[in-house]
Amino acid sequence: MGGGTATFKNCEDIRGRLTLYLDDELQGEERVTIEAHLSECESCASIFARELSFLNSVRESGPLSVAPPELRARIEEILSEKRTAARVPATEANRSTAGRRRRFGWLVAAAAALLIGILPVVVWRLAHRTTTSPTTRPSSFALMAADTHLRQTRGQLPLEMESASPQDISAWFSNKVNFRVKLPNYQESSGQEKLYTLQGARLVGFQNDYAAYVAYRMGDRPISLVITSESAAKPSGGEEIAARGLVFHYNAIDGLKVLTWSDRGLTYALVSDLDERGQGSCIVCHEGAKDQDFIEPLKPH
Amino acid sequence: MDSLGRNGIFGQAALEHIDSLYGYAMTLTRDTTEAEDLVQETYVRAAGAANRPGHDNLKGWLFVIMRNAWLNQVRHKNSGPHFVDLDAKEGPIDAAQENPHVVYLRNLERKEVREAIESLPDAYREIIVLRDIEGFTYQEIATVLECPAGTVMSRLGRARGKLRKLLSGQQTRTRIRAV
Repeated sequence: MGGGTATFKNCEDIRGRLTLYLDDELQGEERVTIEAHLSECESCASIFARELSFLNSVRESGPLSVAPPELRARIEEILSEKRTAARVPATEANRSTAGRRRRFGWLVAAAAALLIGILPVVVWRLAHRTTTSPTTRPSSFALMAADTHLRQTRGQLPLEMESASPQDISAWFSNKVNFRVKLPNYQESSGQEKLYTLQGARLVGFQNDYAAYVAYRMGDRPISLVITSESAAKPSGGEEIAARGLVFHYNAIDGLKVLTWSDRGLTYALVSDLDERGQGSCIVCHEGAKDQDFIEPLKPH
Repeated sequence: MDSLGRNGIFGQAALEHIDSLYGYAMTLTRDTTEAEDLVQETYVRAAGAANRPGHDNLKGWLFVIMRNAWLNQVRHKNSGPHFVDLDAKEGPIDAAQENPHVVYLRNLERKEVREAIESLPDAYREIIVLRDIEGFTYQEIATVLECPAGTVMSRLGRARGKLRKLLSGQQTRTRIRAV
């Protein structure tokens, strides 16, 4: 930075407009003037860098909240109703209407859950006579995992980091979630042919906190792994299957196969559209031959 | 906006903003149930008015609807919006007096930034969310808040100043890194 009153005045002016510049509120010549000054003045450039770093840390902290899947389903229903009832005049749009719609929405959602979640499993059990406990509706964690999988595959939920390295993804989560994410790399350690690829990761909202989302792909079929702490979500509902000391809960949600379970303080949901109960998706963590007796009980018998 | 009301385009476009709207509703209400109700009411109102012309900025329009719906609720409760005095005394956080290493590690976490934002006074939190989380321009924020753009600028400056103080441990981290 040069000395002299004129230069100082210039710096003062520039600094007074840095926030506007960083907020993209300046255009044309004003932007060019500031950029030119920053390229020459170390002092102002330092202030700019500090302010940019601060704003980036704030901006990267979002989103602060993510709409729960149940709410999203209700809103989809409201918008769908509005579409189909577009020719009905004088539609109310007040709070009491919202309340009625909400209650109605729950009934529809419950009916949908019955149809989508329970009925297929009941039919399943009649057909295959499994040894599992009675089925119930999917847990909110399973619903969130299925919803996240769908939105991610539709491109509505882009990955926040893309990597094929389990180590990189594990490290990426280290400062972002309050539990440890450690992804195994069976393909690398076993030297086996790559049957799946790791795509990347992102955070997803659950219970007012973040859960870890990891995206895989087996051929052209996506597989999602969602992880949270056992204190935030306990697996429940669906068809219970015991295997190797763990209890898995299987649900079919919107045509997706969702397996949830808890192990050593963490709760997992594995989502795919693979065959049967989607147990083939377990390959992302259990590919070795010794794991086959782990996966086998998950197959329908 | 007229085109948004046709052929389900409105529904599809409006649904893309549900996370942002829920985040803003949480900012306004600080309560998950109230936030869900507010999001739902916003969509009901928006869907009812989707065919009316004059809504070029769908996201901004949805935020305006949400804020008005919330203000109506608050007025109905007869308690008035709960904005605190913007010049009120500083909060209890004094990061500089804590163990620098602990503060350094803690502030590495994104979660801490979110918590700092959550701890801001209502009006400051709201404007940080609108500008820095949702990316609205000053003019768009002025429309949502029904205030002059100059007020947006000054309030945003004070809000960031307060947030910077809350996160002042980051300066300690920078110094540690530089050593």
